[in-house]
Amino acid sequence: MTEIPQKGVLLNSENGIQNSILEFLKTAAEKKVFDAIMLPMKVPSGDSFAWIMIKDMALLDNTTPLAPIMPVNAAKAVKRFTRKGEGRNKVAILIRPCEVRACVELSKLNQIKTEDLVIMSYDCPGALPMQDYIKDPEWGDSEFKKLLSDNIWNSDIVKPVCKFCDKFSLPASDLHFGRENDRLLLMANSEKGIDFISEMKLEANEELDNWKKGIGEITSKRISIKKETFSVIKNKVEGLDNLLNTFSECIGCHNCQSACPICYCRQCYFDSVVSKPNSDIVLMRAKQRGGVSLPLDKLMFHTGRMAHMSLSCISCGLCSDACPVNIPVAKIFSYVASETQKTFEYTAGESFGDALPMKEYKPEELGELGDLVNSAGIQEGDHE
Amino acid sequence: MSKYIKLNTDRSEAIKSFLKELLENDKISSVLSLRKHKNGKVDYGLTSSVDLLDNIEPFYPYMPANAGQLMGRFTPMEKPIAAIVKPCEFRAFVEMVKREQVKRENFIVISYSCGGVYPLKINATQEIDEKLADYQQQVADQEIPAGIRSSCTGCEHINPLETDIFISVSGETDNNLKAYLRTDKAIDLIEFWHGQPEDKEFDESSLEKLLLKRKEAKEQLFAEVETKDTGLDGLIDIFGRCIGCHGCNSVCPICYCTLCDFDSFNYDYNRQILEKELEQKGALRLPPDTLFFHLGRLSHMSFSCVGCGMCSDVCPANIPVASVFKKIGEATAEMFDFVSGRSVAEEIPVMIYKEEEFPELGE
Repeated sequence: MTEIPQKGVLLNSENGIQNSILEFLKTAAEKKVFDAIMLPMKVPSGDSFAWIMIKDMALLDNTTPLAPIMPVNAAKAVKRFTRKGEGRNKVAILIRPCEVRACVELSKLNQIKTEDLVIMSYDCPGALPMQDYIKDPEWGDSEFKKLLSDNIWNSDIVKPVCKFCDKFSLPASDLHFGRENDRLLLMANSEKGIDFISEMKLEANEELDNWKKGIGEITSKRISIKKETFSVIKNKVEGLDNLLNTFSECIGCHNCQSACPICYCRQCYFDSVVSKPNSDIVLMRAKQRGGVSLPLDKLMFHTGRMAHMSLSCISCGLCSDACPVNIPVAKIFSYVASETQKTFEYTAGESFGDALPMKEYKPEELGELGDLVNSAGIQEGDHE
Repeated sequence: MSKYIKLNTDRSEAIKSFLKELLENDKISSVLSLRKHKNGKVDYGLTSSVDLLDNIEPFYPYMPANAGQLMGRFTPMEKPIAAIVKPCEFRAFVEMVKREQVKRENFIVISYSCGGVYPLKINATQEIDEKLADYQQQVADQEIPAGIRSSCTGCEHINPLETDIFISVSGETDNNLKAYLRTDKAIDLIEFWHGQPEDKEFDESSLEKLLLKRKEAKEQLFAEVETKDTGLDGLIDIFGRCIGCHGCNSVCPICYCTLCDFDSFNYDYNRQILEKELEQKGALRLPPDTLFFHLGRLSHMSFSCVGCGMCSDVCPANIPVASVFKKIGEATAEMFDFVSGRSVAEEIPVMIYKEEEFPELGE
């Protein structure tokens, strides 16, 4: 579990959350607390955002620290920057909690190096569906501004996964911007965070009780929405027929997989030569049941992906954003992930310290299997 | 000379009974076609049972995958598969044959003068079903049906000459079967149509009205992605919102590489290289190579682009990928007198070496 910080720094928030955070980052840049910082910036066409690593701090004015949409999960951007080789720039990033969680998972999978990285996060109002924003960026900007200024936590316009997200606050980041109504609180959440605050010559002497209480209330509401959502989706996907029906629109483009921050394989097994059988096998399969859907194994791809990554799924919803046929991939994966993670008492992305369930061997995990072994009259240790 | 068969039967039904006979007489191993399931969903499938052939929907205006891509994955077979595909799908298949991904003789291809398909997002097939009557009327009237894929509105390749069997659909005022058997392979199977064959070629000029409209629509589509005066900035305007999912590449029937170069280690830069760029430019977009990927793909495959529009349709960022690729592809292909998917005999421009080529470049 992340140790909740005791006290925070009260930052000036007169100009709204967005501007206040930007001003804070500019001050930090002037004080050279970091050498480079990765933030969202509007693309030239004005209808989306991209992750930009900034060294020339004059460019900070072009950024939008809290972007209305999440076209790419930041962990994917961080992966490309930190995965190979040593760095000479100390880098800060300001990202959403689900993106921090993706970073945590990718770090455990040895895809991200966090040593010279300062991870900053914020109480996330949710992200708008990318396509809605692209269609009308002006609408998106003004609606997102309202989410921030009016402290809206039950918005209808955010992505489906954001509506039931109960992990929208303090992740395993180094620094976190907490929002308590119009108050902006900066809190250190690691040694790196404490150093950052002291380098900024700031003092953490603001009580966090009210902030925690507010976040707690929103969290419990979200948990009940999540329960409802999951019970609906459970009925929709449980059993082979339901699963087949839900995924029957899938065209096999694998956009969900390539947008997924956790799916880090260079080449997915399901795109490999192994998954492209010879004609005789395809014809045999067609013959067995009179016909076979093409491309082959569309459902198997999804169940395979579930088996491969659901323990690390952080419910960022990018899979749904990328699906060209509107399959509720994110809700389904989020639900399945909640169940698989429960089995291992694991919460994806919660802490850098937890071992990945598949990388850790616990003899007691063999519980029911152990019973089977016992019933077969084999004693513990006998198997050798 | 083609053999022409005209029947007083609905074309879908006529094709089904033709295919059933081929299956029963062991002429083919199976049928690759769109199928409609009991729950209303439509997909591509391989059907090898005669009974299940009732479920095929040869002319349904939907393209969940470019069938040329699906056909391109079949390794050599003893007996052919009959495939009912749209002209752009056939052309993609032809390109795959040239790239030695599939054997031409492994397929008996039936294609038709297609009226266009609806976008993937209209995936609740019931929605297409509702539009179907209007669609068919507009296709009969040589109009461009409202709401179809933008690339279909500008498609001029309606009459693929090298298909085994061509069915005339666009501009036909009745639903009766009118089939042109264009290859020996097709003519060998002529008895299974149970019709009176005549010698007759399809007259493409009968579709003049439609082709004119499509040409205009194409020019409109191309104008929307014109970057002649804006250059790199113009391209960044178009591709800037790309999220790098490479969905365009994975649904492209021409992009057949198992692992795209741009997903390979070659572009997985060391941090030192990235930091050097960061320091030189003051800023760096991550993940890198957003535009580079599209330019690379353009140079690798655009001359073979068949304009099917799958890339635009799967793009989560609504980038008009297909318009750009078709526009640039056509312009490049033109320099080589090449038309993608026109003929198996037409070699891929980059595969032929000519001592004298583009002398003006030398100057």
